[in-house]
Amino acid sequence: MSTPDVVTPLDGEKAPASPRADLVTAAVLFALGIAIMAQAWSMPRFVEQSGTGLTAPGIVPGFYGAMIALLAGVLGLRAVRRGGWAVHAPRRAANGDGRQLLTAAVLGVVYAGVLVGRVPFWLASALFVFAFTTVFEWDQGPERRVRRVVEAALVGLGTGLAVTLVFEKLFLLRLP
Amino acid sequence: MTNPFDMLLGGFAHVLGGGAVWHALWAVLIGIVIGALPGLTATMGVALLTTLTFGMGANVAMLVLVCVYVGAIYGGSRSAILLNIPGTPASAASTLDGFPLARQGLAGRAMGISTAGSWLGTLFGTLILALFAPSFGEFALQFGSYEMFWVAMFGIIIAGSLSGGDPLKGYIAGFIGLFVATIGQETNHAYARFAFGNGDLAGGLGLLPVLVGVFGVAEVLSAMRGPAVKAVSSKIDSVIPRIRDITMYWRTILRSGALGTFIGAMPGLGEDIAAWTSYAAAKRASAEREKFGKGSVEGLMAAETGESACVPGAIIPVLTLAVPGSAPAAVLMAAMMIHGLNPGPMLAITSPEFIYQIVAMLVIADMVKLFYGLVLVKPLLWILLIPRARLMPVVFVLCTVGAFAITSRLFDIWVMLGAGVVGFILRELRFPMAPLVLGIVLGDLLDKNLLRGLVLSGGDLSPFFTRPISMGLCVLTLLAAAWSIPGVTALFRRRAVA
Repeated sequence: MSTPDVVTPLDGEKAPASPRADLVTAAVLFALGIAIMAQAWSMPRFVEQSGTGLTAPGIVPGFYGAMIALLAGVLGLRAVRRGGWAVHAPRRAANGDGRQLLTAAVLGVVYAGVLVGRVPFWLASALFVFAFTTVFEWDQGPERRVRRVVEAALVGLGTGLAVTLVFEKLFLLRLP
Repeated sequence: MTNPFDMLLGGFAHVLGGGAVWHALWAVLIGIVIGALPGLTATMGVALLTTLTFGMGANVAMLVLVCVYVGAIYGGSRSAILLNIPGTPASAASTLDGFPLARQGLAGRAMGISTAGSWLGTLFGTLILALFAPSFGEFALQFGSYEMFWVAMFGIIIAGSLSGGDPLKGYIAGFIGLFVATIGQETNHAYARFAFGNGDLAGGLGLLPVLVGVFGVAEVLSAMRGPAVKAVSSKIDSVIPRIRDITMYWRTILRSGALGTFIGAMPGLGEDIAAWTSYAAAKRASAEREKFGKGSVEGLMAAETGESACVPGAIIPVLTLAVPGSAPAAVLMAAMMIHGLNPGPMLAITSPEFIYQIVAMLVIADMVKLFYGLVLVKPLLWILLIPRARLMPVVFVLCTVGAFAITSRLFDIWVMLGAGVVGFILRELRFPMAPLVLGIVLGDLLDKNLLRGLVLSGGDLSPFFTRPISMGLCVLTLLAAAWSIPGVTALFRRRAVA
């Protein structure tokens, strides 16, 4: 019985993105590359100061923009060759994974973008950990739900206080 | 005191003062826990712990971060063996034989093999670092702007080519990273690039907030999206490594150690590539190939030795060229800069003793790792069972602290969030993260040296291609790029088979 070959990351893409996704990504990146080049071109050249214009701030980012646009073009062409233009991938319905992801992202933005800086850090962190844990453990069923919520509150409070104590008092760092 | 042996002793004496053992004990432990928990990586661990080290002296800070790095790479094998889920990407190869061993009721033996391989690997890599880094550092003194430009370019290209997945996406990720590094005031004319009149953007995007975002926030999002980790129920036999497992596979250990260190020293490749390459090489050379993938002691030993030897290997280019060999080494390098240490060619002149201090730190970390490998089994099992719904928000809080602490700007928290979302999307689209990080870290080096080189040559591009070292680096870069072209690789493989 022959043994299976070792599959390593060196052997190439293991789970490639769909050609359609690659095509859309290529279009976005191509636009980004062109926008970077346009911005770089509009930057001052400082020819009088340097004498040659070789220290112009736009040279390096302009080069990067050109490379991003060029490579995005190659990615796009490859995606078209792989059927990205013709194949219409079925639109995926919102599944559990997507909902969890969105919930985590929204909670994170509310915590880091809204609460932090406006509410004392220990309180903001305690509220965030409590809300996050409660929301994600809610689907585990009504059994012992009260206990889980109480535990979440304790974990939140513990995190808020511990992080504040360790970072602010022990390591003398400023917290938001 | 110029004798290398005296400097090594001096390094140990310097590092061991000031409660080093205590710091090593807690830092390696944190590293192992971070590495063992699926979803938390060595890069994230080093980035988060960098925050904690702001108030410490540079020496203690480096010891702590080296210990976290060493511990995290080792810790990843715990969940690889017990849960079949690599705690860090570096431990993916360990799942192939570690988990089958655990299923055969040999989880303790597998962890013993992992401990022995990891310990010997780091020791081997550290020996190579001690022997070659000082002389390579002196050689690197010959590098001027032209050569440093190619070193940075080589790093991006080789990371893009070999860091896993699609080379084309690797290159794009690398150039996106380089572009991110250009945001903010440049050095020649203090012109704020891509700031759009915003004062915060004019100050540039902080390296740490971006890294914490890409590796912390993006990983929290990924972890919450994926399926939950199943609880482990395994009886653990003795975890003490068997001498026979070491003596029987000494060739594999030496080969994997050498491969791991070499791959570590290549810019941007990192521990996962080291582990996979060592595993593949061991399988090719093994007399018992049929056991690979079904619980091979040799396979697990090779993967563990390779990934752990990569850690000192990845620090070699940090110390000698200011170019990181892996993503965690990139964060370590950023931390060195934050603490006022200037890694790179000048280190051989300004503080040659620092290389030997790093050697001492690696040896101490390795010894503490061995200690925990023997005693820390049951508590780690308990930690592995923490539900992600309780762990991930705590990690997110730590990310926020990490992003904010360095400059106390709320803007950095927004940078972290933005980098996290972009990092997550790029990851979902199968863009590798190592070239992105390398681009962000090397952006400043490449930018300055390209412009400085052009100014020195009066706009003449030829020195970039005609100076001997420059020419060699240019050829290497082109070869690395050619390697990713499918036709070239296929041709090379056909010839190798023939």
